[in-house]
Amino acid sequence: MNIIRAEHITKRFTAHTALDDVTVEIPQGSVYGLLGPNGAGKTTLIRIINRITMPDSGHVFFHDKEMTQDDVYRIGYLPEERGLYRKMKVGEQAIFLARLKGLSRHESLVRLKKWFNKFSIEDWWDKKVEDLSKGMAQKIQFIVTILHEPKLLIFDEPFSGFDPINANLLKEEILGLRDKGATVIFSTHNMSSVEEICDHITLINLSKNILSGNVDEIRHSHGNNIFTIQYRNAEKDLKEVLQNKCEILECSTDIMGQGLMKIHIENDSDIRPIISLANENSEIRSFTEIIPSMNDIFIRAVNGTL
Amino acid sequence: MNNIGIIIGREYKERVYKKSFIITTILMPVLLLLLSAAPALIMRYGGTTKRNFAVIDKSGIIASKLVSDDEVEFTPLESSLQDALAANYEDDNYGVLYIGENILTDTNDAKLYTNSSSSVTIEANISKQIEKIIETERLKQYNIENLDKILEQVKASVHLTTFRNEKEKESTASSSAAASVVGMILGFILYFFLVIYGSIVMTSVIEEKNSRVLDVMISTVKPFQMMMGKILGVAAVAATQIIIWGAIIVLIASVVIPSIMPSDLMENVKAVQGGADIQALVAQSGAQGIEIDTSMLTAMASITDTGYITMILTTLFLFLIGGFLLYAALYAAIGASVDQAQDAQQLTIVITAPIIVAFVVLMMIMQDPNSQIVYWCSFIPFTSPIVMMGRIPVGIPTSEIITSLVLLYVTFIAAVWLSGKIYKIGVSMHGVKPSLKDLWRWLHY
Repeated sequence: MNIIRAEHITKRFTAHTALDDVTVEIPQGSVYGLLGPNGAGKTTLIRIINRITMPDSGHVFFHDKEMTQDDVYRIGYLPEERGLYRKMKVGEQAIFLARLKGLSRHESLVRLKKWFNKFSIEDWWDKKVEDLSKGMAQKIQFIVTILHEPKLLIFDEPFSGFDPINANLLKEEILGLRDKGATVIFSTHNMSSVEEICDHITLINLSKNILSGNVDEIRHSHGNNIFTIQYRNAEKDLKEVLQNKCEILECSTDIMGQGLMKIHIENDSDIRPIISLANENSEIRSFTEIIPSMNDIFIRAVNGTL
Repeated sequence: MNNIGIIIGREYKERVYKKSFIITTILMPVLLLLLSAAPALIMRYGGTTKRNFAVIDKSGIIASKLVSDDEVEFTPLESSLQDALAANYEDDNYGVLYIGENILTDTNDAKLYTNSSSSVTIEANISKQIEKIIETERLKQYNIENLDKILEQVKASVHLTTFRNEKEKESTASSSAAASVVGMILGFILYFFLVIYGSIVMTSVIEEKNSRVLDVMISTVKPFQMMMGKILGVAAVAATQIIIWGAIIVLIASVVIPSIMPSDLMENVKAVQGGADIQALVAQSGAQGIEIDTSMLTAMASITDTGYITMILTTLFLFLIGGFLLYAALYAAIGASVDQAQDAQQLTIVITAPIIVAFVVLMMIMQDPNSQIVYWCSFIPFTSPIVMMGRIPVGIPTSEIITSLVLLYVTFIAAVWLSGKIYKIGVSMHGVKPSLKDLWRWLHY
């Protein structure tokens, strides 16, 4: 079931079209990545889902019903730019935002203490927001966004401004939220995070949705039938043995005498004979299909060479 | 509704706990007081240095009759003008008054030489004295019997005592000078509150929009709640400030002024407040050898009348809050529709124009508190807070005040409704510099 379905969204600004007939379906309980180069229209789509901006045409459905303003209040939204009062103290501000989300003062205090503890940032409580670094403010904003445990979370570039350690912390939290039943939508350039945590993605380029679907399916369907074979103790030259069966792209031997071969197989051809041949002539350590990384797919899709 | 409360709380706390708020709130009344006391203090301690004039009187009638006082001292001198002038060339306070021989017929034949610039009051003093002497001399030429006696009887001195004629109460003595000064001050206070607190609302909305706080807020609370929370929060700050000021003023009026003023004056002030006849009081005091300035007495009676002050402060409070709410709603709408404070200037003209009109009309109250334009402007909601504050101390029927207040608050509700529409669209607009026409269009979405 889809928690959000945005159909044929078009949004024009004075000088350019930000979104051109974009349709996305976001399955409930998934971690959904919105990918795309800078200026592709990701943030605009997020702002439309949040009803901050209205589309020129198209509709957004929430649980298969046309989305209303009240639905928005069930969303936890983390904007790309930090939306915090600069002059306010961290703790006070967090309580203020939590109370607006419907938590009591006491409840928000209990939850905030827990999260501050978890991120070991208790001593930020009385600091002013303007004294925080970008990453620090981002953490606060993240906590405030998820504090009321909304069923739908939308993060705009959540990893920007984070060091790798904090980015990992954030990934874990996002997966933890999904495991608790929340749906998470986020936009990013960080492709490694996409492979690690996204179930589904949509790739937006030049205001258009150019690729949508399950991450594993996308990666497998864009494989090029390239395999690597790791082997040792070859009885014959494996290169000669295999060269009639497939195209050999690379062949090397490392200092431990272990061979590594990269081969390309014709579409739809059977790989079993190749495995048998290799097995007869050497000790196979691994035989793996190379699945393109999201990074490759992203670059190829954007360059139009997918 | 709950969200509005939370937002009001934040807006209020953010401002009231600021050092600058605490300082201005306490310092302003002190400053105002010093400012109003300044003229009196200068008169008392500053004083003017006495100036000496040598009088060379060729006609022989004027010099002996000139009366010296605190400011000028006349000394008849028998010498030529040149010698007199050269004699005390170094003394800045020295001067020579030269009266021509035929002063009775040629009244322009009087000259004043001073070593430093003279003052208007001194010149007026001297010419008035000379005029009087000449008049008397000319009368004498008619050879009227008992002239001195007749003149003495003819002399008149008028002290105008004004009364505010109110239906509800017995007429009380009032000082129109004090009333119009009070009115001006109140109008000024209102003017500053509207402009300063109004733009506080506007800049704070712009800031929220720029810092993207609005993006977070908008997915949490309704734009209308945001706007109302902000307006009411800042209104609460304004109310706090005015209440503190009011309390300080009442305290000063009822405790401080009576204790520093001479006690015999205060007794008389109390008597006036109690409804005693001023003429009788003045006559009585005169008999005791105390001179009382009637206008001073009535002014004092007005400004130390706690009931009167409370009435004025209450109406000030109501008009201030009403006027603020009305203007703040408009300021908020403009703040929401622009990205930068500079872009707002073109739009704020719509707001500042009526405030300035109100201010001009406020000035007109000084001349005529009952003119048609003043009357009507005290009802039109956009000008009424300022103009009404100018009128109230002069004394107007309560029914007019109530009508004006009702109109003001009704307009506020309408303005909030309209501003809410602009606000809702404005907050999500980025990178657009809207014109008035755009705002008008947004109203119809």
